[in-house]
Amino acid sequence: MKWLDGMTESTARGIAQRTSRRGFLGKLAGVFAGGAAGIPLLPVARGEESSNPFPQEEGDPNSCDYWRYCAIDGFLCGCCGGSANSCPPGTEMSPITWIGTCENPADGKSYIISYNDCCGKSSCGACLCQRNEADRPIYQPRLANDLNWCLGTKSIIYNCSTAIVIGTALDQ
Amino acid sequence: MQKLLLLLLAIGCSAFAEVQPETMGVIRTLPETYPPHWIIVQDSTFFHMSDGKFIVIDADSDDSAARFKGFLNASFIAQFHQAKTKPELYVAETFHSRGNRGVRTDVLTIFDKSTLTPKGEVVVPAKRVSGMPTDFHLQLVDDERIALIYNFTPATSVSVVDIEAREFLGEIPIPGCALVYPMAGRAFASLCSDGSMLSVQIDDDGGQGSSHRTEPFFDADSDPLMEKATIIDGVGYFPTFLGNVYPVDLSGSKPDIGRPWSLVGEEEGDWRPGGLQLTGRDADGRLYVLMHPQGYDGSHKDPGVEVWIFDTKKKRRVQRIELATPAISVAVTRDEDALLVATNINLEIDVYSVLSGEHLRTIGDFGQETPFMLHGAQ
Repeated sequence: MKWLDGMTESTARGIAQRTSRRGFLGKLAGVFAGGAAGIPLLPVARGEESSNPFPQEEGDPNSCDYWRYCAIDGFLCGCCGGSANSCPPGTEMSPITWIGTCENPADGKSYIISYNDCCGKSSCGACLCQRNEADRPIYQPRLANDLNWCLGTKSIIYNCSTAIVIGTALDQ
Repeated sequence: MQKLLLLLLAIGCSAFAEVQPETMGVIRTLPETYPPHWIIVQDSTFFHMSDGKFIVIDADSDDSAARFKGFLNASFIAQFHQAKTKPELYVAETFHSRGNRGVRTDVLTIFDKSTLTPKGEVVVPAKRVSGMPTDFHLQLVDDERIALIYNFTPATSVSVVDIEAREFLGEIPIPGCALVYPMAGRAFASLCSDGSMLSVQIDDDGGQGSSHRTEPFFDADSDPLMEKATIIDGVGYFPTFLGNVYPVDLSGSKPDIGRPWSLVGEEEGDWRPGGLQLTGRDADGRLYVLMHPQGYDGSHKDPGVEVWIFDTKKKRRVQRIELATPAISVAVTRDEDALLVATNINLEIDVYSVLSGEHLRTIGDFGQETPFMLHGAQ
């Protein structure tokens, strides 16, 4: 397994995405714990969802530089039999997730992304992607992509990660 | 006919007698105390996590066969700790009863250092954290009698295990805090999301005795503390994203937060610490930090191109080692003639002499896949 072959110092940053790995998240940890349906209270403008249910998007959703993946760490489910917002057959989606706030270049807005993991089968192995924008150590789990978020599932075995748009971020 | 058979048998026996038959069933063992230049490579097998390995390698050897000493298995990105006072290795691991599915069981497995086989195990609550490995998911306190396992469900707690009695004692909740940093006696500390540190004294039954929480001492937003610390003589050295380091004295009954100092001189500008396992120490108590230039928001896990060595008393850098290949993790052997070992971006192990700063060899092709962390043998 030589997925880092050929990398040089000048490209070290890109490499890091694939070396440090798994992150799952957390800020919602406390909020989510016990939330059965797993839909947390988030700082999102849900009002916009009804009038404009899906954001305009551009780019390849199976590429690590796709806008939704700004804080992801794992295998992209779109390369594993699922999609950016669905799990592969036979897996189970974790109800507990970490989140990112990613800017969509198609409309210039920032969206809250829920990185739900798909669980119960071993590592997909395709399209490994790690981006550490605003990633924080695991004492801030809601923002930490070093954790396995296959929690609240029948199996903690990690398969791949989705990136589900759950709303627009409120202006700070 | 009978004479012919006897003749053939006699010929056969004489042929056997011409060589010394080798002994069947020989299984090698390792010394209880590993030589100082042996290292333990933590291969988390990220692409099939339930089949992890901890591989013992002689980092001094250029013989690719002879330097491989053996390995132990560890299931699902396991946590690891070496005892210093007895020939044991500890692994916190997770199994499902049907491989990737079925009933989950978490155990602390106690491995014999000579045979690399389990000599005991303690079933613990199925809550242990899983994720990228650090040294502070599993620690020992109370003269290595007590093992502490960090739990994340995402509620956070610590499982307390009596290693000698092979018994789970109890679970201590640490809400809002994470990880286990060993303290003097029967106590531990944890980092908290508000920038403070929690310390807990463990009572005789393995539950929470007294506890204390410091005032917030770092800004988790503007310059977060990295959890990947190194403890030197009871003081934990915690780098920050922007290149400062906080000394935290863990040798007393409460954490004593020291004044932070900068790892980066003015002339170095935007160099920052980064990597997966980015700090280490040597026998002289010097602090090693993996560094990269042109740091930016999000570069805190980027590979490093140099290792900087600091005198923590004088708070200044005393040496820098330029790496042959950028690295994600580093460790230092325990002896005076120390080796610096580094997992490079090709996922091979580079070996350097600390004294000369020279790159001695690259160790690869030993079956490793994702050797995320390295440990100098204790």
